[in-house]
Amino acid sequence: MALKVDALKVVQDPAYAASLSDEHWQALTDDPEWNLLVGEQREMVEPVYEIYGHRLGIPAPRPRGEVLLAQAQLAQAQAAAKPAVVADAVAGGGAGGFQVVGTRVPRLHGYGVVTNVGQYTQNMRMPGMLHTRTLRSPYPHAKIKKVDLTKARGLPGVIAILSRDTLPAEYRDVKLGSGPPDRYLFNEEVFEVGSPIAVVAAENEHVADEATHLIEVEYEILPATLDMMEGTLASTVKQWESKEDGTIIAKTPPLVRGNPDGARADINLDSVLTRATEQHMPLEMTNSLMYWDQDRLVAYYTNQHAHGSRSGLSQALKIPVNRVRVIQPGYVGSGYGYRSGVDLAEIHAAILSKITGRPVKNMYTREEDFVTRTHRPEFRNEMKFGVNRDGAIQYGQFRVFGNVGAQRGGAANGAWFIMQTLYKIPNLKLEAIDVFTNSFKSGPYRCVSHPNGTFAMEMMMEKAAYAIGMDPVEFRLKNLNEEGNPETKKPYSNSGVRECITKAAEKIGWKQNWHAPRAKQVRPGVFHGIGLAAHSCSHGGGTNPATGQVIVNSDGSVQCVSGSTEIGPGQRTQMAMITAEALGVSLHRVSIATYVDTDNTTDAGSTSGSRQTNTGGRGMYEAAMDAKRQILQLAAEKFVDDAKRKNETLQVAAADLDMRNGEIFVKATPARKQPLEAVVSAYGLPVLGRAIYKQDNDWERAAWAAHAAEVEVDTMTGSITVTKYVAAHDVGRAINPFALEQQIEGGVVMALGAALMEELLIDRATGLPLNPNMLDYRPPTILDVPETIDVILVEKPKAYGVFGAHGIGEPPMAPPGPTIAAAVHNAIGVWMDSMPMTREKVLAGLRNVR
Amino acid sequence: MKSFELYEPKNVQEALVVLKTHGNKARALAGGSDLVAGVMKDWVEGTGMPMPDALVDLSTIPQLKGIKADARGITIGAMTTLTDIIENKEVIARIPLLKDAAHSVASQLIRNYGTLGGNLNQRPRCWFFRGKDFDCFKKGGDFCYSVSGDNRYHAIIGGEGCYIVHPSDTATALLALNASAKIAGPAGERTVAFDNLFVGPGVNILAENVLKPEELMTEIFIPNPAPGTRQAWTKLKNRQVYDFAVCAVATAFTVENGTWKDGRIVMGGVAPVPYRALVVENAIKGKDIKAAIKQASAAIRTVARPMSMNAYKVDIAANMLERTILAGLA
Repeated sequence: MALKVDALKVVQDPAYAASLSDEHWQALTDDPEWNLLVGEQREMVEPVYEIYGHRLGIPAPRPRGEVLLAQAQLAQAQAAAKPAVVADAVAGGGAGGFQVVGTRVPRLHGYGVVTNVGQYTQNMRMPGMLHTRTLRSPYPHAKIKKVDLTKARGLPGVIAILSRDTLPAEYRDVKLGSGPPDRYLFNEEVFEVGSPIAVVAAENEHVADEATHLIEVEYEILPATLDMMEGTLASTVKQWESKEDGTIIAKTPPLVRGNPDGARADINLDSVLTRATEQHMPLEMTNSLMYWDQDRLVAYYTNQHAHGSRSGLSQALKIPVNRVRVIQPGYVGSGYGYRSGVDLAEIHAAILSKITGRPVKNMYTREEDFVTRTHRPEFRNEMKFGVNRDGAIQYGQFRVFGNVGAQRGGAANGAWFIMQTLYKIPNLKLEAIDVFTNSFKSGPYRCVSHPNGTFAMEMMMEKAAYAIGMDPVEFRLKNLNEEGNPETKKPYSNSGVRECITKAAEKIGWKQNWHAPRAKQVRPGVFHGIGLAAHSCSHGGGTNPATGQVIVNSDGSVQCVSGSTEIGPGQRTQMAMITAEALGVSLHRVSIATYVDTDNTTDAGSTSGSRQTNTGGRGMYEAAMDAKRQILQLAAEKFVDDAKRKNETLQVAAADLDMRNGEIFVKATPARKQPLEAVVSAYGLPVLGRAIYKQDNDWERAAWAAHAAEVEVDTMTGSITVTKYVAAHDVGRAINPFALEQQIEGGVVMALGAALMEELLIDRATGLPLNPNMLDYRPPTILDVPETIDVILVEKPKAYGVFGAHGIGEPPMAPPGPTIAAAVHNAIGVWMDSMPMTREKVLAGLRNVR
Repeated sequence: MKSFELYEPKNVQEALVVLKTHGNKARALAGGSDLVAGVMKDWVEGTGMPMPDALVDLSTIPQLKGIKADARGITIGAMTTLTDIIENKEVIARIPLLKDAAHSVASQLIRNYGTLGGNLNQRPRCWFFRGKDFDCFKKGGDFCYSVSGDNRYHAIIGGEGCYIVHPSDTATALLALNASAKIAGPAGERTVAFDNLFVGPGVNILAENVLKPEELMTEIFIPNPAPGTRQAWTKLKNRQVYDFAVCAVATAFTVENGTWKDGRIVMGGVAPVPYRALVVENAIKGKDIKAAIKQASAAIRTVARPMSMNAYKVDIAANMLERTILAGLA
C-alpha cells in the first residue's frame, strides 16, 4: 500500500515537507498531483507548451500546477468544509463544458517514445532466437527454374532455409493479397523485383545475409511491363487471362452526371497531371519476433491493426484466429497505412519458427521496406474542365490512371471523391483505370488515392481561376458544395470547408500578398509566390467494428481496454481522454496500456483511414457510457441505503444522477454527492462497461481542409523554398488540440516531401529500383521545411462524431501538392503539372515561358 | 554483410603490410560511413571490386590525425575528422573555402565520424554503381546503364564510358586551393598534387584517383593562399542535410581593381573528377570581373556534353559559376 502524502501541502507548508520520510518522498514521485506542481509536467512539459504556444502565436495555457495552487488557495480562503479530490479538479478546463476533451494533453506514453524505455519490436530479443534474411528476385518478370541451396547450407550458423522446394506441403497453396496474378509464399513465376526466392534462418543476421549470397538460382527471364501507359496498350503481352487490353487489371464503371459530352463552356482546359510513386519510410523498419507456444503462434509485430495481422497469419497458417496471438507493443516507428495485415515475410518467419522450434526475428532491410512493401502508386490524370467567365463550372471529364504495380492494393477511383463532392459540377464524367506493371506494389500510404484527386482537382480549379481572371480563393468559394453527396444524396454534417478556406486565406494574408504571376521579385532571379488549395476526402468518419471495454476497479481507478493500435499520433491517449470525459472522471484516474494484445481485446478496426477517433474512440465512448449507467444505478441504490441508515427518506433513481470529476451527484441537489470509489468499493466488485457498436449510415462523412503557402522560386537553380505554411482543418471537435496540431504538422511535412522531392524510381531497362534508400529517395529534413506551419483547427461538430470529432490522420497529406504548385505558378508563371516539383521541371518550365 | 578480418595497425608501416598482403581484397577503413555502412552493407561488388576480406582500421594510427599550421601552409592528417577541420582556427582563418566545403558534407553526425581521407577516397554515388544488381563498368562489368537510363544526376563533362560525378566536396575545394596529398606505399612516400590526383574513367574506370590498392593517403598539404585571395564555396543540393552536390563551385582568386588576376575555379557534381573550369578561368583572367562574369560563366556551355536527362545541370552550372564568383568578389 502506497503512503498517502498531500502533495499540495508539501508545496505550501515547509514544516509538513520537513516532516516527510524518504518513503513519503518516494511515494510523491508517482503522485500525479506532485507531477503537476513540481515534477516532470511542470519542469519539462509546461515549458514546452509555452515555447510551442509562443511560436504559434497562441497564448500558452496557464501551467496546471499553478491552476491547482490557485484553486487550493481559493478553497482555503473560502474555508470550504471539505477539499475536493484535487487531482480531479485539476483536469477541468476544456471548452464547451468539457472536462477533458479540448485540453492539451501530452502523450501518455511519450516518455517511452522519446527514451529507450518504450519496448519497440525492433529492440526485442529472446534467448535462442534466429535471424532471417531473404534472397529476392532481381528480375521484374521471370520463371524460377532451379534454386540450389547446397553452398548456403554449408555456411556455419545456417539453421534452416525455406524455398519453393523446402516449403512444407501444407503451405504450398497459401496465397496472399488479391490477384491476378496469384501471390504464393514462393512463386514459380515472379512478377516483381523483390519476390522472395528463399529465406535463410541463421544464428545471426550477418550469417543469414551472407548465406543468401551463396544460393544459386536459375531464372528464365520473361518480358516485363514497366511503364503504366504501355500496360494499357492492346499490343502489350498479357500476363494472365483477361478481357482488358494489355495489363489493365480493372476499369471502374464510369460515373456520369448530367451531360458531360454535350456541355459547353467559355473556357475549356485540358491538362495531363501526374504524380510519382511514393513510399512511407517509417523510422522503424517492418519487423517481427515470433515463437510457438505449443500449438499457438505468438507474434510481436510492427503493425497498425493487431487483429488484422492476426487474421492474416491465421489464414496463411491454416489455424483459427484464437490460436494466433499478435502483440503490437504500442511503441512503433509508425505505420502510414501499409501495416494493416501481414506480408509474405511474416508468414515465412512463422513457418521457420515452427520448423526450427526456435523464436525467429525477422527484420526488413531499408531496401526491402522500400521495395517489397506497398507504395502510393504513380497516377496520371487526364483532365478536361469547362468554366464560364462568370466563374460557374460547366463540366468536368476526368480520367484517372493508377499504376497499381505487381499487386493492386488501392485503386485509381479513390481520386473521385473530391471530384464528385467538393464543388458543384453540373456535368461530370469520371473514369478510373488500374494498370498492372511489374513494378512497385500499391497500397495505402496516408490514404491511397485522395491526395491524387486533390492534386488533380485543385490544379484544374487553379488553372480555371487564372484562365477567367478570377481570384482563385473567390472562385473556390463561389463553387463550393456544402450540402452533401449529389449521387448518394447523403448529407454532410456541418461542413466546415468554407471556414477552412477563408481562415487559411486570412492567415496567409491572401488579400495583401496575392499578385499576378511573376510580379514579385525578392532577390535577383528569385520570385515570391502564394497559393492555396482546398480538400475533401471520405476519411475520418469512423467505421465498424467500434468496440471497447472500460473497467472501473473497486478503488475507483479506471482501465481502458481497447484494440485500437497506437502507431504514433497518440491514439491511445485520446482513447483514455474520451473514456474520462464520457465517464465523468479526471484523466489521472484512467490508465491505458501502450500495447494491443489480441488475446485480451476485441477488434477495433485498423488504425488507418483516419478512423480511430470515431472507431476505437466510439467503442471507448459507448463502453464508458455503459459503465456509467451501471455506476449511476449502484450509486442510486447507495444514496437510498445511506439515507435509510440515517433514518432519512430519499427517492433517487439513476436518471436523477450524474458523474463529474469522479463524483456522483444528485442533479437537483448537487451538494449531495459521493465519490466514485465509495460507490464501487461498497459494491465490492469491479464494474465492466463494454460496447460493440455499429455506425449509422446516414451521413456523407467527409473531411475538409484548406492549405495556403508562400514560396520563393530561384529561377537560376530551380530551387523552391517554402517560406510560410498554413493548414486549416475541419476537425469537428478537437479532442486533444496538442496531438492534433502535431498530426497536421507531420502530415504537411510528409506531403511537402512528396510535393517537392520524393519519387521512387526504377530503371526502365532492367526494372530494378534506383533509389530505395533514404539518401537517394530524399525525404525532407528539418532544414527543408518551413520554420512555421500554422495550424488552424476549425471545430464544426459532426452528428456522427465522438463529441462531434472527425478524424484527421490522412487529410493533411493531400493539399500540400496543389498548394505548392499554385504558389509556384504565382511566383514564376509555370504550371507544375507533375509531382514531385523538382528543379529539373522548374527549369524546363521556365525555358518555355522565357 | 560478408564476414571479414579486422586489422588494427599501430603505424603506417604495419598498415601497408596488410594492404600489400591482401591486394585488392583489403580496404583501408577510416570513418566507415561509406565503406562499411554503404559499399559493404549493400554488397556493392564486381570482378573489379571484390568484397573485402580484410579491413585495415586506420583509427589506431595516431600519427594520421591532426592539423598542423606553419609558415608555408596547413597540413591535415588523413584521419582528421571533418568536424575537426571545420572547427580549426587556422583553417577558418587561412582557407575558409575548405571549412565551408567540409561543413556542407552530409550531416553533423557523419562529419563527426567522417575523415578527410575518407571523404576524398569515398566511392561515387551513381545509383547504377550502388545498385548491387547492376554489373557496371566501374565494378568490372560490361555495361554503363546511365547512357540509356535515368541520368539526371550524372556527368555533363568528361564522361568516357562511365558518367559518375565525383562525390567529394572537400576534393573540389582542395583542388581550388592547389593542395597536394602525401601517399605512402611499399616503395616509400610520394607527394601528388591535386592537379594530378584524380583520374577519369578514360584513364582508369575502376578507380577515381591514382592511389593503388597497396597505397595509403596519409596527409594533405594546403599552401597558404596569396595575400588577399578571395575564396567562395557554393553547393547546390536537393536536400539541405545528407545530400551530395547537384553542382558545386569552389573558387580562390586574387583581384586587382576589380580585375581577375590569378586563381582557380573548380566544379563538383558535374564530372567524374573535381573539374577545373579552365575555360572559365581563361575567359575571365585579366578582365573586369563584374563586366565579364556573365560571358565567362557561359563558357562552361562550350565544354559541357549533357546526357538525355541532365541538360538542366548545364544551366545550373553557368548560373552557379556566376553567383559564386560574384560572392567571392563581394
